[in-house]
Amino acid sequence: MANGFFTDTTLCIGCKACEVACKQWNQLPADGYEFSGNSYDNTMALGGATWRHVAFVEQQAPPDEPPSESRWLMMSDVCKHCTNAGCHEACPTGAIVRNEFDDVYIQPDICNGCGYCVPSCPFGVVDLIAHADYSDGRGFVSDGRTNDDATQKSGGIAGKCTLCYDRQKVGFTPACAKACPTESIVFGDVDQLKAQARARVEKLAERGVPAYLYGVDTDTSVGDLNAFFLLTDRPEKYNLPERPVLPSTRQPAGYASGAFAAAALAYVGYLIFRR
Amino acid sequence: MKAPELGAISPDASARGVSDGPVLPPHQADTYYERPLLKRPHWEWNVILYLFLGGIMGGSSSLVLLADEHDEGGRVLARNGRYLGVTLALVCPAILVSHLGRPERFLNMLRIVKLKSPMSVGVWGLFAYGNLAALSAAGQLADDGVLPGWIADLVPKALLDPVLAIFGSFIAGYTGVLISATAIPVWAKGKRHIPALSVCSGVASACAAHAALLALEGDFPETAAKLERLELVASLAELAGLEHFRRYAGEIGKPMFDGPRGRKLRTFTQYGGILGATLLNLLPGHSRVKTVAASALTLLGGYVFRETLIEAGKDSADDPRAASRQPE
Repeated sequence: MANGFFTDTTLCIGCKACEVACKQWNQLPADGYEFSGNSYDNTMALGGATWRHVAFVEQQAPPDEPPSESRWLMMSDVCKHCTNAGCHEACPTGAIVRNEFDDVYIQPDICNGCGYCVPSCPFGVVDLIAHADYSDGRGFVSDGRTNDDATQKSGGIAGKCTLCYDRQKVGFTPACAKACPTESIVFGDVDQLKAQARARVEKLAERGVPAYLYGVDTDTSVGDLNAFFLLTDRPEKYNLPERPVLPSTRQPAGYASGAFAAAALAYVGYLIFRR
Repeated sequence: MKAPELGAISPDASARGVSDGPVLPPHQADTYYERPLLKRPHWEWNVILYLFLGGIMGGSSSLVLLADEHDEGGRVLARNGRYLGVTLALVCPAILVSHLGRPERFLNMLRIVKLKSPMSVGVWGLFAYGNLAALSAAGQLADDGVLPGWIADLVPKALLDPVLAIFGSFIAGYTGVLISATAIPVWAKGKRHIPALSVCSGVASACAAHAALLALEGDFPETAAKLERLELVASLAELAGLEHFRRYAGEIGKPMFDGPRGRKLRTFTQYGGILGATLLNLLPGHSRVKTVAASALTLLGGYVFRETLIEAGKDSADDPRAASRQPE
């Protein structure tokens, strides 16, 4: 059984209850006060200690179209818990695992802060939680489970959505889905969620709203996403990659080219150095 | 009263990706407020230095295998190579620890073997290389009379040298695979170029390091000339590879080849480290000063190449367009 999220952006009202619930449950520190100027989005991105992020896109109608063509897109972004996860494959310590709910989970006591998962995520989700530093009110180390002296003193560790592993363990719904007042975020068995999502796309189509599922039934190397989305505009408008690629697919070409260069230079070296 | 600019309201915002340039009206915008889609890698000087020294370490072991121990220069080269190999095999994990923060954290990587992760494969390669290099150096120490002679008989040199050359070449190249097996556009685009460039740069740097060591130890014109020739081939391959990568990567390669960073790469790696060092080596007559100067240029060029690669990756992560349609 795989558990995941279906995030229906047509139901999102941008209340950010998911962001707050996530921060509260997971004891994640605040991001500080920064004015972005980007609609209502001052959270700006997912991060090591920001595991839900509501994106806001205010699309005013072009001057030559009626104002009714204006719309306001809102999407609660989250770790995608990919079928083939770049972070999971990159992790050299085995800290990143796929747990019994088929979700991608970082074991904080095993993560050594090497940072390889960070550029290996095709969605730019996972990030390092910085060193302990309360001086500017933004740096910190604490995700509730790693608040130990050792972690605070040296190096950070990687942080991202756990899909509320602890809540799932006792049969609770993840904090964000629980708090969502419009059921824009639905938690459940991924197969059931997909069926629900496909029905929703059809229903919206009947009403004349073009929508599609992002991360389901798409032919990408990352595979289907356990946390997928219903979108009404192109992925890049929500800062999602239009074409995510699983980084490890590039390894065969890389190893081959490195081996070729090494063999060629070794041969030239042999010719030069032989007596 | 003049309206404050966006950057002035929130100085930190630019650090988190707010563009200073004009932002298109939302119904036309093709990105999310020009905000980065990917996260910047957190790799600093320690990782750069490791890439650089790992390249020298790998190249050095190949030179040990190539060295002709029938003549004096070859013997000195092989000896230097064994000592340099073990020294760097001790220094490299220390540098990685400095990146991780605490020594125990290095051990976390030794709890599993994961072929899918170049970092895991690499750390085991480093582990194997380090132990074998220590064995090889022990044999050399015995040959040099520092350790008792019977130890030399225990060390299977004929087997160790080729094995170390293979492990060494792997270490020189896997870092390139590690970097290009990420979502960072400029690194991903270089999936074929970066590993080969890493090997070439590593071999050229190793030749330069050994040419300098050799020059400081005495006069071995034949061996020095061979090192220079191999360095020339590796450097020219690197030069050609860099130029091909620049053309192939196009827009995606800009963080690496454009602006001040591109100028630095051209100055230190392409002109100084490759063309400059080659010209110095081609000058008639040989002197210690000339050899050491040429080696210094090559080594500096090798370091700047690695630095450029890593730093360009950070800026490349900030480009939401390149990150949206990721290179295959």
